[in-house]
Amino acid sequence: MADMTLEMVQASQLGMKALGAGIAVGLTGIATGIAEMSIGSAAVGATAENKDIFGLALLFTVIPETIVIFGLVVALLLLF
Amino acid sequence: MAEKRTGPVPYEYVCTRLRVRKSKLLAREDYLRMLNMSIPEMTRFIEETQYKKEIDELGTSFSGIDLLEIALSWNLAKEYQNIQKIAPGDLKRFTQSYLRRWDIQNVLTILRGKAQGITSGKIKEILIPAGELDRVILDRLLKEESPERVVEALKAYTMYPVLTKWLGSAIAEGSFAHMENALYRQFYGDLIEEAMSGFKGGRNFLDYIRLEIDMINIRNMFRLRADRIQQDAREIAIPGGTFGVDEFQRLVNREDHNEFIDAVKSRIKLRPLLDMLETIRQEKSLRETEIELIKFQIREMESMSKRNPFSIHPILTYLEKKKYEIINLRALARGKESNLPTERIRGFLVI
Repeated sequence: MADMTLEMVQASQLGMKALGAGIAVGLTGIATGIAEMSIGSAAVGATAENKDIFGLALLFTVIPETIVIFGLVVALLLLF
Repeated sequence: MAEKRTGPVPYEYVCTRLRVRKSKLLAREDYLRMLNMSIPEMTRFIEETQYKKEIDELGTSFSGIDLLEIALSWNLAKEYQNIQKIAPGDLKRFTQSYLRRWDIQNVLTILRGKAQGITSGKIKEILIPAGELDRVILDRLLKEESPERVVEALKAYTMYPVLTKWLGSAIAEGSFAHMENALYRQFYGDLIEEAMSGFKGGRNFLDYIRLEIDMINIRNMFRLRADRIQQDAREIAIPGGTFGVDEFQRLVNREDHNEFIDAVKSRIKLRPLLDMLETIRQEKSLRETEIELIKFQIREMESMSKRNPFSIHPILTYLEKKKYEIINLRALARGKESNLPTERIRGFLVI
């Protein structure tokens, strides 16, 4: 560690930030997918029986998108 | 055949679909409105609900009560076949097992009809091809000339050994009651075996079967006690529920009504059922008691399907509620046809 130059440390920090941002978006994306899995299939089932509730079903399906938006916000804060 | 891939969340889809369908069933107010209608008015009323397709299709060939009855049977069969198509994996297996009761009913109808020399066309009108035996197989059975030949044609099915065992005595006595009891005992035995064979969701299925066996046993106890016929009750009892066969016999033979209710209550754990038994302690008629028991069973199934929203329960609840919708509509139509007073018909409805 002692022979690391300032440039190397800065580059390493930048890399860590990028990695953190990637993990934040990636993991929240997976979590959103898992949450939407059940809601989506139930929404399709309900819409198949009653087409009038398509709009509402779609709204319920995308509610877990908030999780990935939090991840994205954290990623953006890390990067900029 | 390879098991159809159903994805990680197959239950949500089908359970939600059936919940929506359940919400579209006729409401209590609809039945009360129909009580004041004539048969053509009733036909028009239900044509505006889920029965439109069947009534439109059959409207040219039938009229009056025939149109209504056949449309109801067709709708029920179509609905049940459709559920078998959309139910995934193990749920499909359980649904099919549950629907095998219609096979028993259809086969018995054919055997009874054949034994009494009724024409195939007449028998066909009252068949409901909702189980494993579809329209094609039932048509083939109807073409057979005698009950013996009908039984022979069912060689490949699980009910065959029971049918052959009881056919001789049934024809000699002119009554298929013993055969019917034996078939239902075998049916519930098979259901329990299937539920306990380790398939996913089997436990939930078992809960339902036990509830149903208990309700049937309690209902039969009330019936046997009301009939006061001295016969071996052991044959009618269905094992697998709360009551054993010998216990069933003992309970049926109890002299005092209050003692009988207390004895049944001492074996029951479900609190709502205890309350319900208390309400029927007062000497109610057998019909009222039976309707109360059915209502209780449906209520209990509803609460089971709320406790396990993604299991076999919502499917079974819908199947049962649909069955009683058809039974109610039929009771209404028949009551109107026989000019029964409104209050009398009201007493036959499960609402």
